[in-house]
Amino acid sequence: MLKIDNLHARIDDTEILKGLSLEMGAGEVHAIMGPNGSGKSTLASILAGREEYEVTEGSITFDGVNLLELDATERAVAGIFLAFQYPVEIPGVSNINFLRSALNSIREQREEDPLSGKDFLAKVKACAQLVELDGKLRDRSVNEGFSGGEKKRNEIFQMAMLEPKLAVLDETDSGLDIDALRIVSHGVNSMRNDQRSFLVITHYQRLLDHIVPDHVHVLAGGRIVHSGGKELALELEDKGYDWIVDTPAPEQA
Amino acid sequence: MSAVATSTKEAALADRVLDSVRQQGTLSVPTAEAEAALESLPYPTSRLERWKYTRVAHLLGLEVTSANDAPSPEKVMPSLDAHRLTFSGGQFVEGDIVDEGPEGCFVGPVSIALERYPERVQSLMDRSFAKKEWYAALQASAPQDGGCILVPAGSQLERPVLLHHHMASGTMAAQPQHLIDIAKEGQGEAILWYDAAQEATGLMNGALNVEVGDHAKLSLEIVQNEKGASSHIGHLHFTQGHHSELTVRTATACAHWLRNDLRIVQDGEHAVSTFHGCYLPNGQQFVDHHTRIDHAHPDGRSDELYKGLAADRATAVFNGKILVHKDAQRIEAYQSNANLLLGEKASMFSKPELEIYADDVRCSHGCTTGQFDAEALFYLRSRGMTETAAHNLLVQAFLAEVLDGFRPEIRDYVHNVYAQRLGWS
Repeated sequence: MLKIDNLHARIDDTEILKGLSLEMGAGEVHAIMGPNGSGKSTLASILAGREEYEVTEGSITFDGVNLLELDATERAVAGIFLAFQYPVEIPGVSNINFLRSALNSIREQREEDPLSGKDFLAKVKACAQLVELDGKLRDRSVNEGFSGGEKKRNEIFQMAMLEPKLAVLDETDSGLDIDALRIVSHGVNSMRNDQRSFLVITHYQRLLDHIVPDHVHVLAGGRIVHSGGKELALELEDKGYDWIVDTPAPEQA
Repeated sequence: MSAVATSTKEAALADRVLDSVRQQGTLSVPTAEAEAALESLPYPTSRLERWKYTRVAHLLGLEVTSANDAPSPEKVMPSLDAHRLTFSGGQFVEGDIVDEGPEGCFVGPVSIALERYPERVQSLMDRSFAKKEWYAALQASAPQDGGCILVPAGSQLERPVLLHHHMASGTMAAQPQHLIDIAKEGQGEAILWYDAAQEATGLMNGALNVEVGDHAKLSLEIVQNEKGASSHIGHLHFTQGHHSELTVRTATACAHWLRNDLRIVQDGEHAVSTFHGCYLPNGQQFVDHHTRIDHAHPDGRSDELYKGLAADRATAVFNGKILVHKDAQRIEAYQSNANLLLGEKASMFSKPELEIYADDVRCSHGCTTGQFDAEALFYLRSRGMTETAAHNLLVQAFLAEVLDGFRPEIRDYVHNVYAQRLGWS
């Protein structure tokens, strides 16, 4: 489903990704962990189509399509969703109107009929319940005045509404208390199926107790330096990154 | 020598405009004072602070042609339930006249009000602008027909009055004069609608004089939707009695070149003034909102909010003056002007002016000029909105604070004009 091959990327004059390769199959959950500044959020941004980053080498293929040729809108239409580390506050734009526009915009570009008002509201209700999102928050301006936990729940709410093929969660656990973590994880887990893949970026093993990954990768110095099963997360929690990061990275084929 | 040449040019322009509008018909009111002022006042140039960013030199060469037989203007907001009066080129075209006698309500053209109730109407012709500004003096030297709304003490208009003034194709000059008087404890709502044909290239130099009596209320919505390439100068003058409430909302939906001079005088205690406005020039358009409020008595409040965008190579100007007179204590005056620039060559000049001569007042002002929040734009696009739709939504959100104050029909209309002009729909 997703194949990243030897990706090099920079912002301004700083090279951040230096030959990152990763392959994900449909329905798989991959976790990416790694020290600060290793390029985790850069990877998330590039997948979602943030234009500040320049890809200098390598490729990203999503369902057989060259992802790098699509802009941010087209990637959403193709089925990619990024849950932001810092969701943006947009005063004056109601959460619900925004989602209606977004959803119908995607449907229009996929040449599908717009959702009826009734179906849309039913869907809003179901998805909001999934992350225990208050009705008042649905009607307020996008993320304006939301607490950290409410913002992250709103991200998962949007994800549930848009039903992506690939969801990238960029440090969705940061700033969450135990209850919010449980709610957010529940939302994600109930969306898991054999068609939908998740790329979970996190600093902490804690999140992976709730969202159990199929694969765990360590990103350091702009490339994947180690991969393993879900038990790798526990090992990292225990031993830190030094034992991996200090070993030489595997050569690219 | 250049001074002589300039004075010749402006005198020649005045002659051309006055000849043309007099030929079409003007109101029978005394004009000697304004004509004298016109001769002595300087023509506005960028050397005058009030005209620093507003170039009016292009008007000096305006070759005004006389009226042609223009078709009747199209009805605006046809589904809106309002009492309508329609004017074109400073002449009354159509509309029902309400006349409840010397003590009652009157809604109709100023020309007819002058015939029937000269004493009620003459006193409304405040000429304070005309003593100070060349274009106001020009207007007052030959004022033309406009709408007249007279609401006697304790009365109320049943429906909003829609005063529609149209500029037809061609290089015409029009100087309509609207008058509104809401007497003590009266109430009214009015809509002032200015539009122009696609091929209009003339001068719309109009005035509005309003008196809101003690304990009276007026809500006024102004829509300026002028296609074509005409120039618009508006002289809007409001006087408020004690405990009166005035709300003026101005939406510049489309204007090639526009200057609004809005002045509010709180001439009594406990007056409340709300004046909001929005504008969105693009292409090479120019929009200038100059406002001034005089808090001349204690315990008054004012709430001023102007928001706008300038795109492409367009220019927007905002100048807001708040003058708190000596002894006008316990005033609360708030002013805010926020702008977005949508093009590298777009310009915005914003200037708040506060002059406060009382010591116990609460005044604040804020002005911001910025660009689209790139992060918000990316957020919206990452959810599948097209760039166009995302822009549209952000602009709508930015202007909502002002546009939501209008009645929904007008809000939607103005938003659609913006969306069409900038290709968002």
